[in-house]
Amino acid sequence: MTPLLLSASSISKSFEGVSALRRVSFDLREGEVHALVGENGAGKSTFIKIVSGAEQPDEGSLVVCGRSIPHMTPALARSLGIAVIYQQPSLFPHLTVAENLALALESGSVWRRVDWAARHRRALELLEGTGAAIDPQRLAGTLSMPEQQIVEIAKAIGADAKIVIMDEPTASLMDHEVERLFSVIGMLRAQSGGVIYISHRLEELFAVSDRITVLRDGETIVTCDTTAIDRPTLIQTMVGRAMAESAAWQPRAAGDVALELRGVSNRSLGIHDVSLHVRRGEVLGVAGLVGSGRTELAETLFGLEPADEDRGEILVHGAPVRIDSPSKAVSLGIGYVPEDRRQHGVVLEMPIASNASLASLEAVSSRGLIDRAAERQSAQGYVDRLRIKAPSTSVEVGTLSGGNQQKVALARWLSIEPGILILDEPTQGVDVGAKAEIHALIQELAGRGIAIVMISSELPEVLAMSDRIAVMHAGTLSGVLSRDEATQDRILALALERSPEGAR
Amino acid sequence: MREARLSVQSWRRRWFPNGEWVLLLVLVAEIGFFSVLAPNFLTVGNFFEITRFSAELGLLAVALTPVIVAGGIDLSVGAMMGLAAVSLGAAHQTWHLPLPVAAAFALLVGVAGGSLNAWLIARLGLPALIVTLGTLSLFRGVAEGMTQAAVNYTGFPERFLFLGQGYLGRVVPAQLPIFVAIVAAYVVLLHRSVVGRALYAIGFTPEGARYAALPVARRVGLVYVLSGLMSSVAAIIYVAHLGQARSDAGTGYELDAITAVVLGGTSVFGGRGTIGGTLLGLFALAVLQTGLHLAAWPAELTGVLTGVLLLATIAADRHIRRRPPVRAFVEEELQVKNSQVAILCATIVAGSLIVAGTNVWLIRSVGAGPRASGGLQPSPTAPHRLVVAVMPKAKGDPYFVSCRAGAEEAARELDVDLVWDGPTSLDAAKQNELVENWITRKVDAIAVAVENRGGISSVLRKARDRGIRVVTWDADAESDARDFFVNQATAEGIANALTDEASRLLGGTGEFAIITGALSAANQNEWISFIRKRLADKHPGLKLATIRPSDDDRDKAFAETQTLLKVYPSVKLMMAISAPAVPGAAEAVRQAGRTDVRVIGLSLPNINKPYVHDGVVQTVVLWNTRDLGYLAVYASALVAENKLAPGARSLTAGRLGQIEVRDSQIILGAPMLFNKGNIDRFDF
Amino acid sequence: MAAFKGHAREASIAYAIAALALVLAVAAPGYFSAENLSDLFLANLPVLLVAIGMTLVVIAGEIDISVGATFAICGVVAGALAKAGAPVLLACAAACLLGAIFGALNGALVAYVGIPSIVVTLATMTALRDALRWTTEGAWVQDLPPAFQWMGLTQRQFPYVVTAVTVLLTVAAAWSLRHLAAGRAIYATGSNQLAARLAGLNTSALKCMTFSTLGALTGLAAVLNAVRFNQIPSNAGIGLEMKVIAAVVVGGASVTGGTGTLLGTVLGVVLLAAIGPALTYLSVSAYWERALQGAIILAAVAADGLSHPLFKRVAGTLQPSGGGRGRRARGAA
Repeated sequence: MTPLLLSASSISKSFEGVSALRRVSFDLREGEVHALVGENGAGKSTFIKIVSGAEQPDEGSLVVCGRSIPHMTPALARSLGIAVIYQQPSLFPHLTVAENLALALESGSVWRRVDWAARHRRALELLEGTGAAIDPQRLAGTLSMPEQQIVEIAKAIGADAKIVIMDEPTASLMDHEVERLFSVIGMLRAQSGGVIYISHRLEELFAVSDRITVLRDGETIVTCDTTAIDRPTLIQTMVGRAMAESAAWQPRAAGDVALELRGVSNRSLGIHDVSLHVRRGEVLGVAGLVGSGRTELAETLFGLEPADEDRGEILVHGAPVRIDSPSKAVSLGIGYVPEDRRQHGVVLEMPIASNASLASLEAVSSRGLIDRAAERQSAQGYVDRLRIKAPSTSVEVGTLSGGNQQKVALARWLSIEPGILILDEPTQGVDVGAKAEIHALIQELAGRGIAIVMISSELPEVLAMSDRIAVMHAGTLSGVLSRDEATQDRILALALERSPEGAR
Repeated sequence: MREARLSVQSWRRRWFPNGEWVLLLVLVAEIGFFSVLAPNFLTVGNFFEITRFSAELGLLAVALTPVIVAGGIDLSVGAMMGLAAVSLGAAHQTWHLPLPVAAAFALLVGVAGGSLNAWLIARLGLPALIVTLGTLSLFRGVAEGMTQAAVNYTGFPERFLFLGQGYLGRVVPAQLPIFVAIVAAYVVLLHRSVVGRALYAIGFTPEGARYAALPVARRVGLVYVLSGLMSSVAAIIYVAHLGQARSDAGTGYELDAITAVVLGGTSVFGGRGTIGGTLLGLFALAVLQTGLHLAAWPAELTGVLTGVLLLATIAADRHIRRRPPVRAFVEEELQVKNSQVAILCATIVAGSLIVAGTNVWLIRSVGAGPRASGGLQPSPTAPHRLVVAVMPKAKGDPYFVSCRAGAEEAARELDVDLVWDGPTSLDAAKQNELVENWITRKVDAIAVAVENRGGISSVLRKARDRGIRVVTWDADAESDARDFFVNQATAEGIANALTDEASRLLGGTGEFAIITGALSAANQNEWISFIRKRLADKHPGLKLATIRPSDDDRDKAFAETQTLLKVYPSVKLMMAISAPAVPGAAEAVRQAGRTDVRVIGLSLPNINKPYVHDGVVQTVVLWNTRDLGYLAVYASALVAENKLAPGARSLTAGRLGQIEVRDSQIILGAPMLFNKGNIDRFDF
Repeated sequence: MAAFKGHAREASIAYAIAALALVLAVAAPGYFSAENLSDLFLANLPVLLVAIGMTLVVIAGEIDISVGATFAICGVVAGALAKAGAPVLLACAAACLLGAIFGALNGALVAYVGIPSIVVTLATMTALRDALRWTTEGAWVQDLPPAFQWMGLTQRQFPYVVTAVTVLLTVAAAWSLRHLAAGRAIYATGSNQLAARLAGLNTSALKCMTFSTLGALTGLAAVLNAVRFNQIPSNAGIGLEMKVIAAVVVGGASVTGGTGTLLGTVLGVVLLAAIGPALTYLSVSAYWERALQGAIILAAVAADGLSHPLFKRVAGTLQPSGGGRGRRARGAA
């Protein structure tokens, strides 16, 4: 029997009398990858917080490397060799990448002197280890989401941690970076470290983990070897009921061209010469590496950063338009569900009803005054239709699970009755059940004649959902594949078309 | 056990879902407390008076609420009031525009100023704090530049003044309907309209609001434009209230307004806050202040208690909110209970009103007894002692502190109750407020050192109408607004004494510079105009090189003098006409080693003794301040006892002996010149 | 120097100062006399010292508007102690200590009770100022021992000593902010408090520390200012907080925390301090002075905003990853 790195037994935790964890036991052996799965709200995040010292358990005990830890703190966790890669990267936006790494890695008195040259060297080294070309001198606030995620991974590598907790580390990564991550995991394993791996991407779990523990409603349902369980059983265990995995793609008759781009460029976002079109009733998948310009393209189309006036043109339903602000985009019937749900997609502190109506306030108001009854009614309609799990429309969105938050974000854009809907990573950080529902919804919307542009880093999702797939590379389009020609390999080949140094 | 804890928590959550409930309790507690302690606090009249003082500040606070909800701040509101006030004055008096047009012009100026803020903040994306800090200086500076800080526009038509001083149906202040209408408009704007919804979203997350296709820049811009507009409305009411328009209108109001907004539970980080909360915050502060005045507690307690209140309320609110997010199903329960909460609150409010009503009756019936019999047949157990309320321009000023010693001496000799209270810093509006409080409190005589002639006169007339005797001292109000004026020395007398002394020291020719107080200080500006007149009439050889402000700050006077000495080497005499400025100027001259430069000024003996002995300061001009306070109380008591009637030619004031009275002015005597020979004989 | 990228604000303030200097050199060369510069330096010393502390607090994502009141109290206390017979240096040290205690009180209310700093310091500002007014009744501290003025030095020696102390403090603070782990931790706390806590930093203690440093510096400023005179007014430092905050934000520190340099702050203090007397030298009427000051501040800041078309974009991307103060709980997973 290999020695235990971590053993948590009978951990219970409740907030305000509502229990989040009930007598959860979990252990991690040396050289092991132990996957922790469950739907959002199952208690994974709370469990991680307890292990990393961010929260104190009500009951239960923690033993790390044979040492009983009665009172865990973030600083103690660090010194014990526990590193966490959070789902939401927690970087310091005003500081450079190098310094971000240093803050996570260096220890010692706060009165010590900082060695900038050493910091810089170390940062370069670590970033190279992840295979991403990020300049350590850049301010973290200018990094894209996936780049931030990579910095988080570099932190964990640098920490030489015995126990690395990865909470959805691949949520915004392309396969290319995921492979890098797996090699990092392999390295950790070889050094007899342990990894607690949390992901909604089941194929990854099966590829990388040794054991799987399923949490549901704050309780441990099962812990078993990965080889001893198959995919449908795992899903069933997680959600507590049998379910279809994902909505099947159905052939549809594509309509007129809803949106057409002719040589569109955006210097300030590094987009150049993009030409493509989407038809009504069609799902256009957009794939590409991190930093290839997918999100930037979406932001250009939505008017957040208008396209260059002097080059290229955008046509909506055949008419040339200039989209210079989001409100202009909305008036043209373009909706955009952004990548960063918590910061951009919804307003966490506002209730469901206000969130759903935020982009279509005219529809629920007369002469500038909001008709609250109409607003509630409209929101209730979406809650029912999208099966948003919430007791009422006046609940703050921040209290909902990721999947339900995403549905609220979708409701906001459905309420403008869009002709064109841009979805940026629509299922990122969303649990299995909600994911399937969102997939079904996308198919349904396309079936009703909406032109859908779906950006996703998860290739199986892109392949399963799209009618055609556009692949981006270094700020421009490197190819468009039809559903029949598309395979993971071909997409990846297009995404890597030019030398990797070309991409930032 | 756990259930008990839970039920306590849900009870608390039900009662204090946010800061407003805490504040409502505070307000009720304040009202209850002062009802018991402060005479005549709990009256309908006092209630309306509180709304009157609160109108201008309330407008600013209400306008600031959406600004802060949208995650911004506007520090320029007070300065904008000053600019709008002088715009109104200039348009009406200088350009002779009809008043409605002048008012429209003032509003336009407000919109323009607000638009400047809006452009810099919303379009250029500059931080609101720094932009409005800059426009604070800009607006106030333009107002001072336009008027040379000295012009005081008065003589507005009676019908306009009604807006700030009149009553509708005898009790409701005329500005109240305007205030209520604007509050209602803001409630609709913030809580009901599409715009308000956008503001909340922007306050929570400006980026998220952009992604929701909200016109962020336009919405944010709007609140700043509106805040400029509301500052102008407040300025117009302020001008009507005080009857004068000066560049210093609304000084410091921005912090008071922000205090009210923050106390009302609005988060300085944006996204949370209500107009209702702001109103509660506003009234919690106003009630506290009025209550302290009526209870004759020191005005300084206002600041201390405001601080404590602010910390306690927000800490309580934090304590409640800090709990983890409400679980979904608890929220559902809350939904159901909201109506019940409303009913409970209504019951409590109704209950407190009933208690209040009975208290009013009780106090009236108790208070009526002695007062009715007081004049005829003093009850042997509780002889009616005269209550004389004396107000300095500013309480902390050493000048007035020394007056107070004299006032207390007189009060002891005469066996009267002395109420000594005043603004903690120069503030015309606070003086009015305090007089109103004293009227409510029904004192026997009021003696005021007037900061603002036009402004205070109407409220003093009101006091006289209610049978209170009014005496002014130090500076006069309009002559029909008071019974007597205790005149320590006329402005002309002071100016002449200073100018003659300067001429004597300079030997009839040479340059000198004036260090004044604040540029807009009325007294100093009057002295300066008489000094200029005297120069032209009697001393053509003297030249006034420049006038610099000291803002009544010794250190600033010091720095200004240092610069002056270098820029104007030919200036051989510094005339400092604000009490702290004389030692400041003297120290600068001494440190520069400029033995050729002399310093004279108007100040207190004590703080100048070292310099007079050193020979840096030649002469300090002042009257005996202790005697001034003494005489003010003596005269007030005599008038209140009907021992000093109009037309009297003299009066006998204790140790001061026979004092001359000329045309309802009680003359203390000529100003004194303190110098090396006599200064040690005085201690104030 | 990696983290010193993006010196836009410092540059535009430096240009503004240079432009002002150019105008003065032509129109009023007397401005640059050693005597005038020394006077200017001494007069603005309190602003500079307090601004150093304020920079730390602002970088940590907080603000303190109670410094004016603390300044007044510390001056009066130093004077009262000296008058009561305490050695001058001891009285001065006690005043600094008192300042530090007030600062720590603010810091504790902010960091441990969780009240927003603007609310805490608004409350302490009004409370302290009125409490001082109440106790002194406006009286000045007079009849100080002769050794009090110039701290026992001569008028000639004093500026050298003070200059040395100030330069030393400024350089030490700038160096610590840049090269000490504690300095970087302040930036980290202001940039993303939650992440800082997860990185094992004791953010509450750090914030408390910045506040008490500010308090101690305010005490020192009050003392160094008080000893230039032979009596101490009880209403000193009115409006000091606004001057200091203006200097710090004009110097480029963001009030949402995480950014700012002492270089910027020093430049901000220099610009604001230079304008007033410069206008006297240029014979601008005192009545238009304030308007011009406001316009110059706005122009300096707006120029910075206008000259960078990407400003908004960068500001936009900086925001979402959750830096600064308040509402940062949303960064939590």
